[in-house]
Amino acid sequence: MKLKVFADRGSQPSRAVLIFCKANGIEFEEVQIQLAKGEHKSPEYEAINPMKQVPAIEVDGKFRLFESHAILRFLATAFPGIAEHWYPADVFKRAQIDSALDWHHSTIRRGSVGVVLNTTLAPLFGQPLDPQAAAEAEKLLSASLAKIESFWLKGDGPFLLGNSEPSIADLRLVCEIMQLELVDEKLQKRILDPYAKVRKWVEDTRKAIQPHFDEIHVAFFQMKEMIKKALAGAGSGETKTG
Amino acid sequence: MKLKLFVDRLSQPCRAILIFCKMNEIEFEEVRIELSKGEQLSPEFKEINPMQKVPAMKVDERFRLFESHAILRFLAGAFPGVADHWYPADLFKRAEIDSVLDWHHANLRHGSAGLVFHSKLARLSGRPLDLRAAADCEKVLSASLAKIESVWLKEEGQFLLGNSKPSIADLSLVCETMQLEALDEKVRKRLLDPHGKVRKWMDDTRNATQPYFDEIHGVLFQVKDKLKEMESDE
Repeated sequence: MKLKVFADRGSQPSRAVLIFCKANGIEFEEVQIQLAKGEHKSPEYEAINPMKQVPAIEVDGKFRLFESHAILRFLATAFPGIAEHWYPADVFKRAQIDSALDWHHSTIRRGSVGVVLNTTLAPLFGQPLDPQAAAEAEKLLSASLAKIESFWLKGDGPFLLGNSEPSIADLRLVCEIMQLELVDEKLQKRILDPYAKVRKWVEDTRKAIQPHFDEIHVAFFQMKEMIKKALAGAGSGETKTG
Repeated sequence: MKLKLFVDRLSQPCRAILIFCKMNEIEFEEVRIELSKGEQLSPEFKEINPMQKVPAMKVDERFRLFESHAILRFLAGAFPGVADHWYPADLFKRAEIDSVLDWHHANLRHGSAGLVFHSKLARLSGRPLDLRAAADCEKVLSASLAKIESVWLKEEGQFLLGNSKPSIADLSLVCETMQLEALDEKVRKRLLDPHGKVRKWMDDTRNATQPYFDEIHGVLFQVKDKLKEMESDE
């Protein structure tokens, strides 16, 4: 199967898909869709993904798929030689991973995106920062991290659901939490310091998927530096009040 | 496998699971958790689902699961005799259904559930309405209905993705759109009138899952009447 992956390495779900492919020796062509340049809004890309978001994949020039969790499930089951721990065949184990992936959407994902956008990235899109939205997002994110700390990381192993090896849920959720590197250090510490198990799990997941994890995040860290410079140059940006 | 479902029929994802089990003759014990009485916050229920939400499921008194899409996938895979169209074995067809189920969370679910809760259902548990949040959710809902109309429903086939038979995605999303029955008729019409394919798809899904669809949705229509009473009392 000839695989194309449409991705922006600044995007959390894009990174999860790229890392999964690299870690499993899945050959693919990476097509960069640069969100900052609005490339996701082109008519050509809309033909690939009518929701105009990354990531998306195309198989053999004819099967297209979007939504990172659907892509990860598809890759884990459609390609040969994928180690069982990524998305086990056992219906009970698989269901628990599905549960974590579903839970993610309205908890970690929503909270993290809200924090990063409303404390840091908004000016890059010509929007004012929104402290009220940021505070609500931080509340959601903290409550969600607390659930990972107290529930999802229960058990013998270092990974979600007490597993001894990472699944697609670990990969996806850790890529999301990495995005907090874009906010200022004080805020990062405030958000993550209370959760020692979460911080250890992020490190364990990174370690388990080297060198691919760090390799895919290189562009992300370069983006972090560019954003710092861009925001410093433009002043601190307007802030929404009221 | 002895199956227990912890549900409130007022909850959209709960209804999808109940209808799925009835359609596929999966035997289960229904344990009612009444959200308007805050029963999901009890210590006993926290043992079942630490997220304190419905639906939740227990198998053979030892395997617990929450998140309705995970439950639907599990039931489709773990019970015998479930027809393939609900969650096909073909990996390409299955991936497309996964894609809809994933898209749903931040789109139709967020928009519809938020609008109905913040403008109507919050009253049932004595919570205040939040019309600003309702307005934000309505925007997401409108955009999501437009996407179902233009992307997910095709020229061929009556169901999502151009399928000729319903999948767990049709069930989950239509149970969500049914919650709009709790809104004032004028508002509901304004939201749904522009989308002829969506309205037909809702009817087709309902027809394909009778009599269980109407049976499980009965409580929603009772609540509609109760809300009318509460509002006319004010």
